Amino acid sequence: MFPDFRALPWLKIKPLALFTLCAAAVLSAGLMATQTGAPGLHRLLAPVYAAQDAPRTLSPISFDYPEDGSIFPPGITPPMFIWRDAAGTSWSIDITFADKGAPIHAVAKGERMHIGAIDPDTVADSNSPPKLTLQQAASWTWTPDARTWAAIQADSVDQPATVVITGYRDGGVAFSRSQIRMTTSRDPVSAPIFYRDVPLMPSAGVNGVVSPLAPTAIHLIHWRLRDITKPESHTVLKDMPTCANCHSFSADGKTFGMDIDGPANDKGLYALVPVQKHMTIQGKDMVHWNPAGDIGKTRVGFMSQVSPDGRYVLSTFAGPSLKLLESYYVTNFMDYRFLQVFFPTRGVLAWYDRSTGVRTPLPGADDPKYVQTDGVWSPDGKYIVFARAEARDPRPPGQGKATHALDANETQIQYDLYRVPFNEGKGGVAEPIAGASHNGMSNNFPKISPDGRWLVFVQCKNGQLMRPDSQLYIVPAEGGTPRRMRANTRLMNSWHSWSPNGRWLVFSSKARSPYTQMYLTHIDADGNDSPAILIDNATAANRAVNIPEFVNIPADGIDDIQVHVADEPAVAAALPKAANGTN
Amino acid sequence: MSRRSPLLYRKPPMGRIRTGGDKTGGGGTYREWAMMVIRFSHGFSRSALVLGGLLLAGLPLMLGHAQCKPPDEMKARIQGKPNAAAYTDLGVWFANQKNYACATDAFATSLQMDPTQKDLAHVAFMLGVSLYFQNDAKEAIPALQEAEQLGYKDNQLHVILASALEGEHSTKEAEAEWRAALDVDPELSTALDALSADLLLDKDFHGIIASLEVPRLLGQRTARQSMNLGAAYASTGQLDKAAAVLRDGLNTSPDSAAIANQLATVLVELNRTDEAVTALELAVAQHPEDAEAKAKLAKAREALASGK
Repeated sequence: MFPDFRALPWLKIKPLALFTLCAAAVLSAGLMATQTGAPGLHRLLAPVYAAQDAPRTLSPISFDYPEDGSIFPPGITPPMFIWRDAAGTSWSIDITFADKGAPIHAVAKGERMHIGAIDPDTVADSNSPPKLTLQQAASWTWTPDARTWAAIQADSVDQPATVVITGYRDGGVAFSRSQIRMTTSRDPVSAPIFYRDVPLMPSAGVNGVVSPLAPTAIHLIHWRLRDITKPESHTVLKDMPTCANCHSFSADGKTFGMDIDGPANDKGLYALVPVQKHMTIQGKDMVHWNPAGDIGKTRVGFMSQVSPDGRYVLSTFAGPSLKLLESYYVTNFMDYRFLQVFFPTRGVLAWYDRSTGVRTPLPGADDPKYVQTDGVWSPDGKYIVFARAEARDPRPPGQGKATHALDANETQIQYDLYRVPFNEGKGGVAEPIAGASHNGMSNNFPKISPDGRWLVFVQCKNGQLMRPDSQLYIVPAEGGTPRRMRANTRLMNSWHSWSPNGRWLVFSSKARSPYTQMYLTHIDADGNDSPAILIDNATAANRAVNIPEFVNIPADGIDDIQVHVADEPAVAAALPKAANGTN
Repeated sequence: MSRRSPLLYRKPPMGRIRTGGDKTGGGGTYREWAMMVIRFSHGFSRSALVLGGLLLAGLPLMLGHAQCKPPDEMKARIQGKPNAAAYTDLGVWFANQKNYACATDAFATSLQMDPTQKDLAHVAFMLGVSLYFQNDAKEAIPALQEAEQLGYKDNQLHVILASALEGEHSTKEAEAEWRAALDVDPELSTALDALSADLLLDKDFHGIIASLEVPRLLGQRTARQSMNLGAAYASTGQLDKAAAVLRDGLNTSPDSAAIANQLATVLVELNRTDEAVTALELAVAQHPEDAEAKAKLAKAREALASGK
């Protein structure tokens, strides 16, 4: 048929213009490099600013990254400094330090931003190649070499370094300037990040039903481990024949749990295995949330969380008489940028005891009048924080079909965060957390700091997690005044995880690209956070990374994970299936 | 109009399908006729089914026109067993050849042949788009509006309809369509450019700020958006914000003399004449022919020299 007017010239104007811009950027970068040669980087004892500075008023440069006040973890790979400047045609970078460190002077080659490597396997009709935004296309960059960056880091611990970029034109006359201050933290990240690396390839089946990922593409999902001091990530699991979703490590780093899809849309399998250098998930490691085999009905495990000591698993389950689609609002779109809306509208929290194999509803979070989900353990395992809202039909009669993320036709739900004692499984009375409840917004995905003092959660207008408007908030764990975190980027901030030492938070965002990336923020003892720091090169430019989780193990603590669950007949029968949470 | 076959403009046999007070029933252009059929079918689908059959007798001899020459395969299909789907496919084929006049007629014929067809809304949309691509915004609008009322879901509908409405100076209606497009894709630059320009005309400065001062849009802000947002801030007395937005816009679009001029104006208002001089020097260096920038630069330098 004729619906794709993108093929027609009128609608090609924008892509064509962008292409031209990108081509111009590439050309100009090449020319610039030719003109400036290989300037290198030198520590100079000379004054910071170039001598030919005229007394003119300098035009402000837009310093886009890192932002003023950024705090970098020690040992992180060199970042790319990014700025925009209408005036300069060449630039110097001068870095001064508060204490004894000698100033650093560098000449920027004047390189443009560029799109990173593309994974050809994840190019599809249903997505678009990553493109630079208008700002990015107009940006100039400088990346210090490893030695220079090490020097900057060494001299900016605790005391901020001042980074001044000066733009020159007309034979070296200074025309523009801006500066930021940045610090290197004493707090190491000290743990690797386990995350999922996914294609964004929504797929419409023959019946028009959209899946986040075609069954034939599920093997393209990878799980990776990242040591932020290394330039790239290590793939620990790939080519998995079925779909796995949320994962969870115990706080001691000894136990790993992961939701794995089972037969006929039964999301009732959960893998629980000890963390080792070489891990294997086998049929014997699988917990069946759905032992009665009432396929398609049941007790979907969702956002399962292993307890700090690895003994229990807490998860969201629908009631036994409820079918999956009676408990979850799920809508997938062909727009790869935000291709899925997924949240529970019914469900209770239950805890599973690995020693007995028994799953038990948690009193205080087991009321069918509500949906109770996103349960997480306090570091001491003594209480649970979870998201709660009145239970509802995920698709009320007469409701229109949502056609895009944040469509008014989405089922509306606003969660509040509650806290309930675990009390050895006996639960208690759930209390709303002040600052994270009853504020007209949806408060969800709570994560408690390892010292138990802070709660970071996602706030959005509707639903949970990977919404375009998701913002991170921090509030005292017992409740209090919430604070919108400084690290929030312009688009989607969610899937956060605390580092074991409680000083870093990793999260996902679409700030730079629809292909989600990972960021870090430093959090001090008072809960103050710093601007977002990109974790570079976590995947190809046309793949997304999500569900990052710090794992309390050495950086090389997991080498590979083998999955042999397909050997189990019930699981093998189900393969393959679609993925969730692929935004 | 002259590009089309005169046959396509003959009065259709509407005498047999009177629909009460519908003024288009007695004549008008082919497209008006098609639109009437769509409206008619929307309300009275069963009757319209009968109508579709009756209309077959009045089909124009489209294929005989020199400009509307489909490939042999399609020609055979139309001549052998004509039906709405065949004409729709023919319209798609013409559209892909950029022959929008013939595409228009094929879609209109499809609508006439089967006003109850499953893809009615889609065909109405394609009819409207074909008309729009012929610079016939006036006739494209009702077709696109009808497609919208029939439930056609595609953001391009809002974009094209808004563009057509802009062409007819129906600014308020265009604004609504731009907003509908932005509901689906909040980052759509075309819509943000046009909406903010419309709001500027309306002097709805707070509306502009609300539309453009959204974190999500920061990385995508076009030169026009920067200027419109800068104008909105300046008009509401927020000159510092205006200067910041325009400065950022200029750093994204260094070639924009318009932003440089607007920025200089704001800077002078803020008594930051020295900064204005720098901005204008750059603008003049890049655009030596820009008389406005030259004049402003001279004036700013004079003010700076006199200490004002």
